[in-house]
Amino acid sequence: MSTPAVTIERAPRRPWYRREMSAGSFAFVMNVPTLLCLGLVLGYPVIYAAYLSVHRVGLGQLRSGVFAFNGWDNYSRVLEDPLFWIALKNTGIFTVVTVGSEIVLAVLIALLINQAGIWTSRITRFLILLPYAIPPICNGLIWSFLYSFQFGFLNRILFSAGLIDNPINWAGNPDTALYAVTVPYIWRTLPFAIILVHAALQGIPRELYEQAAIDGASAWRRFRHITLPMLQQIIAVILILRTAFAFAVFEEILAITQGGPGDATWVAAWYSYKITFSPPNNFGMGSASAFILTLMIAAIALVYMRFIYRRVTL
Amino acid sequence: MFKTTPTVRLLLHVANLTVIAFILLPLVAVFIGSIQSERALQADTRRVLPLEFTLDNFTIILTKGQQRGRIFDQATYLPDNIKSFYTAFMNSMIVACSVTFLTLLFGSLSAYTIARQRFRWTLFLMQANIVARFVPVIVLMIPLYVVMRSVGQLNSLSGVIIAETGFLLPYAILILAPYFDTIPGELEEAARIDGCTRLGAFFHIILPLATPALAACGVIMFIISWHELLIPLILNARPDFMTLPVVIASLVGDVHVFFNLMMAICLLALAPTVVLVALLQKFIVEGLSAGAVKG
Repeated sequence: MSTPAVTIERAPRRPWYRREMSAGSFAFVMNVPTLLCLGLVLGYPVIYAAYLSVHRVGLGQLRSGVFAFNGWDNYSRVLEDPLFWIALKNTGIFTVVTVGSEIVLAVLIALLINQAGIWTSRITRFLILLPYAIPPICNGLIWSFLYSFQFGFLNRILFSAGLIDNPINWAGNPDTALYAVTVPYIWRTLPFAIILVHAALQGIPRELYEQAAIDGASAWRRFRHITLPMLQQIIAVILILRTAFAFAVFEEILAITQGGPGDATWVAAWYSYKITFSPPNNFGMGSASAFILTLMIAAIALVYMRFIYRRVTL
Repeated sequence: MFKTTPTVRLLLHVANLTVIAFILLPLVAVFIGSIQSERALQADTRRVLPLEFTLDNFTIILTKGQQRGRIFDQATYLPDNIKSFYTAFMNSMIVACSVTFLTLLFGSLSAYTIARQRFRWTLFLMQANIVARFVPVIVLMIPLYVVMRSVGQLNSLSGVIIAETGFLLPYAILILAPYFDTIPGELEEAARIDGCTRLGAFFHIILPLATPALAACGVIMFIISWHELLIPLILNARPDFMTLPVVIASLVGDVHVFFNLMMAICLLALAPTVVLVALLQKFIVEGLSAGAVKG
């Protein structure tokens, strides 16, 4: 007694390239370009910057390709450099001034362009994104024309309006230069903040205001007890993002003051740039100072990711 | 919302006019600066409007220094970089278009899987992108310069394109991911039952639906890439490979170049992105708010 042979018809095995991928390998394949980019252009350079920062790297070493290890030497030289601390202090002042004014201005202007009944508000709303279109380096040059001591456009306007008798040296005075360079930066980056606040304003239910109006709440009380609490989260987002980016300000400094007069507008990114790319080209110290800046920004980034990014939905 | 008494309305109009004046001030300055001669600017240092108008500043830039016009007739010195305006414009255009294309392609592949396939590592990738967005360019530039120098990739457009793509990709993913998250998953499921592969479903069903997000992300990528200074400034020192912002930055501190010429070249450099912003405002607004807060 033998069982008849049963042949089971199987579908022919597809060649590997016709086979359907599993969800996991599909996700991986789709992310290969991103992983390569993140690894080669972001991850590797950051690690390599750390490597450079503990080695002696100048132009001579670049030519020979041999970098001698010198431990914390670059870091101690950066930390002992008074100019670095001046740059850090200037960066701090710059950040506090720009971010503080941007948040206040963004809330005020967003409320202003939200006024449907005022026809000039519609013009403002149309123009609000314009500064976003201006290249930062052009913005810097335009403001250096505005600020120019002898030929400046700002002084011309003030003369014509009869507000001043003698020209003001806006960016050339060590006491005012740092504040002078905050204005172009605020001008260029304000649209981003206004747009976020304006979008958040659309999300506040109108009933809250109607109810408050019935209860006879004043405009100030409505702002203080409805608008401001509802804007709290978006203000936190702006605070963190703008702080991180203002810490690395570069273009406006390059175009308007180049760090001057004296050291009045040396900021952290400008310090790293000058140390590295102008003689005597100390790549090691430049990397060390840039790495210190990065660690400070990384701390801000972690706060943003941990506490803010996922909590907010517009 | 407010009870608008005439006084309140007047105050709001005044506030609007102040904001409009502040927004337009630099643009008026760049325009007026670019249409007058150096002599006119120096002759009267208290006049707002110039005595005479001239287009010579633009002519000399757009004819590569050939047609000097009245202003530059006697000029013995012209910075070489002014003459390479067309090369720089083309370089900027090539870099910005390539970076936009590459970030959109890689970004949408990645953002789609992050939004759809919830593995531990895709979540981690998203977090890595959020952190990566904060990396300051200056810390990347020093090692990138050293690496590019050792492999002989200084002074090439491809080096700049690779660097900018890597630098902008995390931001592109942050803008795109929330949008892919809103497309209902049933659409691909239906397509897959009909025999579509995962990749086919993505390209034929999902990507066409995501056009608004791609437009928003693309225009933001183009603008940031058009504006980028530090990456091409450090990687490309030869005039043949300079982008427009690098050419403009090279005029800074050149005492022989007067404001009029600078304002003219600035106006030419900012025109393309101003046109983009004016035409695609709606998309930019959506992209900016998606990239900042949605997760």
